[in-house]
Amino acid sequence: MSTNFYSSPKNESGRKQKSNLFAVACLLISSLAVVILVTLLATILISGSSWLSWEFLTGVHKEDNPEGSGIGQAVTGSALICLLCAAVAIPIGIGTAIFLEEFQPRNKFLRWLHGLVQLNISNLAGVPSIVYGILGLTTFVYLFNLMPSIQVNKPIPWEIGGIHFYQTKTLGRTFVKFPAGDREETTIKLTQNEMCIDGDGNEFELKLVDKRSDAPKDPELRKGFALRGRSASRLTERSPWYFHLPLGRSLLSAALTLALVILPIVIISSQEAIRAVPRSIREAAFGMGATRWQVVRKTVLPAATPGIMTGAILSMSRAIGEAAPVLAVMGGVLGTTRGIQSLMDQTPVLPVTIYQWAGDENAGFENASSAAIIVLLVVLLIMNSVAILIRNRYEKKLA
Amino acid sequence: MKSVSVSIPVLILALLPMTGQAQNLSGNINIQGSSTVQPISNKAKELFNGVHPKVNISVGGEGTGNGFKALASGECDISGASRPIKSTELAKVNAAGIKFVEVPVAYDGLTIVVNPKNDFIKSLTVDQLKKIFREDFAAKTWKDVDPSWPSEKISLYIPGSASGTFDYFKEVIGKKDGKTLRSDEQVQDSEDDKMLVTGVKGEKYAMGFFGYSYYDANRNGLRAVPIVNPKSGKAVTPSIETIKSGEYAPFSRPLFVYVNTKSYEKLEVEEYVLYMFDNLPKIVEAAGYVPLPEAVVAAAQDNVDASNTGTHFVDEKGEKRSGALESVFVPENRAGQ
Repeated sequence: MSTNFYSSPKNESGRKQKSNLFAVACLLISSLAVVILVTLLATILISGSSWLSWEFLTGVHKEDNPEGSGIGQAVTGSALICLLCAAVAIPIGIGTAIFLEEFQPRNKFLRWLHGLVQLNISNLAGVPSIVYGILGLTTFVYLFNLMPSIQVNKPIPWEIGGIHFYQTKTLGRTFVKFPAGDREETTIKLTQNEMCIDGDGNEFELKLVDKRSDAPKDPELRKGFALRGRSASRLTERSPWYFHLPLGRSLLSAALTLALVILPIVIISSQEAIRAVPRSIREAAFGMGATRWQVVRKTVLPAATPGIMTGAILSMSRAIGEAAPVLAVMGGVLGTTRGIQSLMDQTPVLPVTIYQWAGDENAGFENASSAAIIVLLVVLLIMNSVAILIRNRYEKKLA
Repeated sequence: MKSVSVSIPVLILALLPMTGQAQNLSGNINIQGSSTVQPISNKAKELFNGVHPKVNISVGGEGTGNGFKALASGECDISGASRPIKSTELAKVNAAGIKFVEVPVAYDGLTIVVNPKNDFIKSLTVDQLKKIFREDFAAKTWKDVDPSWPSEKISLYIPGSASGTFDYFKEVIGKKDGKTLRSDEQVQDSEDDKMLVTGVKGEKYAMGFFGYSYYDANRNGLRAVPIVNPKSGKAVTPSIETIKSGEYAPFSRPLFVYVNTKSYEKLEVEEYVLYMFDNLPKIVEAAGYVPLPEAVVAAAQDNVDASNTGTHFVDEKGEKRSGALESVFVPENRAGQ
């Protein structure tokens, strides 16, 4: 039977039938996946599309008010975190890939080390993102506990770019602030007149009185007076370059953590791209007397750039969709009242917003969540199409 | 509907500069703790930000136990709690040198829910609940609880052990005998109340429990079981009225916030707490809970005004005080710090 299995015509129709059956089975299985995907997309489109509006795209989260809530802050937050993440992960990733592919050491020990790095990177690519989240928490948020952690009413261990004020309440029930100078206490008592700034940004002298009755009766005038000994509490306004250590639950921590998540992907895809550059190109360059660095810089990198960019964009789209590490590092922030002022602020991002809304007790947020999913999917679709476009365009040139 | 709700805040924003009363208060407030208290803090935040838009308030709800941890580590200004602080937690807070003011904010009725298709449970006694939920009884089927009920497997959806709701329920049905809640394959627990609601909605023979406000927001697909009041012997359904009057016993409980006194020196926290007191009934009702008697609120306000630190629920020997809130929350009982 085995000798003439392939040439025997007597079973031909039966085997064709089997072959056809198998093809049908494959078709069914693959269409099952498509059906599930289409159902999912359809439910999301049905419940979410009517919520998409300019107000939704630009608004902020409002408690108990799904109709009035929006994802403006989440979109900005996601974009900013994604850019920061790219700025960190892509240079390091490409550098590592060049090292691994082009600078293979000859020394036995270094070769072993080289292999170890390679093995680790391949393994890291498969580590679940929540593990990176916990890593980010220890590394960036708490800085391995090398410094005291950030506490609500203690000065931050180390900071730059903060403008310090003390804020206090006047007898006219307005809130004013004055520069802290070199005072460091979290609260002080008012002992002297201070040059203050009011809510409209005007500067004036806040006069102290010993008794309430010493101040003028007119409520407008009372805004210029405060009780002697009344407390004033420290207020830090953040300049755009405000920075502190440990990094705490900030968007910078989240971006660095996401950079860790995508780093193995960037490295591996860049390695693939570099490896795809034909050997002959390198040899030609060497033959012209180029050094190894010149070969990499002038021939390999330009030829590999489209592949590297494709990998980088795909890894970015992974970063923009990750919820777990961001939740672990920054917490489930849904909205901030001031928006982003510095890298040390917290910010909502799209995947976390989707997660939080989907679990909200107010059922209206489920629709809002679907609408946010549509936005996220569109963003991902655009990023992936750009990656494919780059790949197709440059593939032709090389061939 | 949509355009109206969007345009109102825009209108308010547009009017603000005209009034010349732009409030300049800014700063950060970090609130953590019980997911049961979270709706109250969220509501207070929303109203407070309407007056002081520059104050950034973050509200988390990782459970009462985690809230006290955050209070002890100085990570939060205010910690929400669905039960009073325990002596072990008090010791940790004291060891960290942190002082707090204990503020009861509302009553909650812990609500036991079943699927609406479940027609055999008309009411439950505390003893029956023990049979269903306690580790030492751990009834397998409904027939084991009451012979007239169907011989169907019990499936339970309960809050996670880090939540104050879990602790409170455990205390009511297991404290005297030192027993805790069962955790076998018939039990599913989650810190996310929504998971519990989904679980009970989906199964005819399921039962679960959580805070009254959560039940109130998810009445569709759930039925609250009347609980037999051990004193009067009458079965009482949880509602705002029965929780307020104390008829719904033993599952009505007070909810608290614990304010770090050092944080209270910060102007933004002080203003927030004062604002919360001024609007407490409104906030509490909007969040779906039951307002406290005025005497208790006044006593709490006195403590806040004078920064009276310490808890009313742990005595000098570290023993827990229990009883009605009005009788325990009195100045003589304040101790521990």
